[in-house]
Amino acid sequence: MAVEVQYYVLLSMALFSIGLFGILTRRNALLFLMSVELMLNAANINLIAFAFYHGNLTGQVFALFTMALAAAEVAIGLGILLVLYRNFRDVDVTVPTTMRW
Amino acid sequence: MAIFELPGWTALAPAVLLAATALALFVIDSISPTTTNRGLLAGTATAGSLAALGVAVWFVLAGVGTPTIDGGRGVIDVLDNQFVVDQLALFFMIVITVVTALVTVASYDYMEDHAYQAEYYSLVLLAATGMATMAAANSLVTIFIALELSSLPSYALVAILKDNRGSVEGGLKYFLIGALSSAIFLYGISLVYGATGHLQLETIADVIGNGDANDYGGLLGLGILMLIGGFAYKTASVPFHFWAPEAYEGAPAPISAFLSSASKAAGFVIAFRVFTEAFPVAQTASVIGVDWTVAFIVLAVVTMTLGNFAAATQENVKRMLAYSSIGHAGYALIGLAGISADGGALVMGAAMMHLLVYGFMNTGAFLFVALAEYWGVGRTFEDYNGLARQAPVACFALGICLFSLAGIPPLGGFWSKYFLYTSALDAGLLVVAVALVVNSALSLYYYSRLIKAVWIEDPIAERDSLSQPIGLYAALVVAAVMTVALLPMFGPVADTAVNAATAVLT
Repeated sequence: MAVEVQYYVLLSMALFSIGLFGILTRRNALLFLMSVELMLNAANINLIAFAFYHGNLTGQVFALFTMALAAAEVAIGLGILLVLYRNFRDVDVTVPTTMRW
Repeated sequence: MAIFELPGWTALAPAVLLAATALALFVIDSISPTTTNRGLLAGTATAGSLAALGVAVWFVLAGVGTPTIDGGRGVIDVLDNQFVVDQLALFFMIVITVVTALVTVASYDYMEDHAYQAEYYSLVLLAATGMATMAAANSLVTIFIALELSSLPSYALVAILKDNRGSVEGGLKYFLIGALSSAIFLYGISLVYGATGHLQLETIADVIGNGDANDYGGLLGLGILMLIGGFAYKTASVPFHFWAPEAYEGAPAPISAFLSSASKAAGFVIAFRVFTEAFPVAQTASVIGVDWTVAFIVLAVVTMTLGNFAAATQENVKRMLAYSSIGHAGYALIGLAGISADGGALVMGAAMMHLLVYGFMNTGAFLFVALAEYWGVGRTFEDYNGLARQAPVACFALGICLFSLAGIPPLGGFWSKYFLYTSALDAGLLVVAVALVVNSALSLYYYSRLIKAVWIEDPIAERDSLSQPIGLYAALVVAAVMTVALLPMFGPVADTAVNAATAVLT
């Protein structure tokens, strides 16, 4: 027996909220990256569950693209974190404050 | 009828040319990695973007996107309607390639001592490829991928001055907010997909129109709200504008020009296309119960007010321009706020015109900041005092760009704002039109403050004579000349913009 689609949506919404909470509360940029990853994967769960629900493959194929994009995004992000560490000796996102409004 | 027809994918030639140039730059660099020929790299990048510009203009003149009844070639769709090349796409491709060409010319001098020349130009061209692809993308899949293709190189470009704390900090903030908003955008896409079962824009509109999505109003509404978040980030408007001041201030000034002009225009083209093609106002309102133009009315007023008031309090010139760029995003949002009314095409056409003129005048203003950073005169208004005595040509060009940004007649910025104002009034958006006028008046204060500093004030300290870097000067003067030269062409170009808007609205 297949699981109803609304449970997948609940799961993905929970993941999304956990990710968002992590972004809003964590100060370590690496944890920030992980939280973004959670949010992207929450969307992937949705895409795949809905693809199954609607009976077309569009969502599943898009989920594959998303994973590749998420990997690319993390690669750029880690590059920026490396130069951040070299300049500020820290990956705490509250440390760089050379510009303030 | 032509003797032979080009295959359909060649309609994407502007984007393909930009991508090919980016790859060519890597090849040039890999032939001789140890030596750097700045002229060759900058020249290749500029030639590539000018070629893409030429092809886009040629397509417009050859009638691509013009309805076949009017003697055009009609809209060309590529890859099973995942991309469309219509007037809207070509119009924004022109804006993007023009800005890219100006930025690559200016970077020749600005990035003089930088170690990674080829990578820099490749990243600029790759970001431009992403933006040109965004202009043509016609499905939420291609829109998201193109959006990421333009965002990822942009993060690296902002942080490219690796030993400069401001640049790294700006890059970090740009990346963090960009990653967050792209995750929100993607979640929005997944909800829209859940409600409609499709990702291609016209089929989404079909499902919404024939009532199949009626049971999923909440899902669809939440999805649309999250999509608006993604667009707000890319166009640097409220509520995802926080990155803009930091990223523009920290980034190398040509990159600030690139992001605030080209990237903003690209954000607007996807917003225009998604909201006109996928979510027709009346049908969507009957499904989700809310008219989405209300969201854009609020965002437009808040964005322009916040941007202009924050700009008025700045002491740092680059930061002032960054906030003014947020204000201009608010003006362009009027294009989406007015779509529901009968004059929808006029409002959207006016917003497109404003983005075109803005592409020149704002790039010019940021390039003057690039010139000032090249001279090393400092960052605040006082540091700019009396520059006109030593560099009258550059300061005259700056004056044209700033007065145009403020909307002083008879410059291009005045006409596009006037067009926005009248069409917003026609569409019944009285509040928005009033906010536009009030904010423009306020913006005159801080723009003229910079002009006063440059032309009237005495220098606070003696300066050595200033050099005249040829690339930066050329790009700055071209931007200022184009701001003026658009005037005689304003009517025909505005017609093109309105036609493009009409085509996607019907």
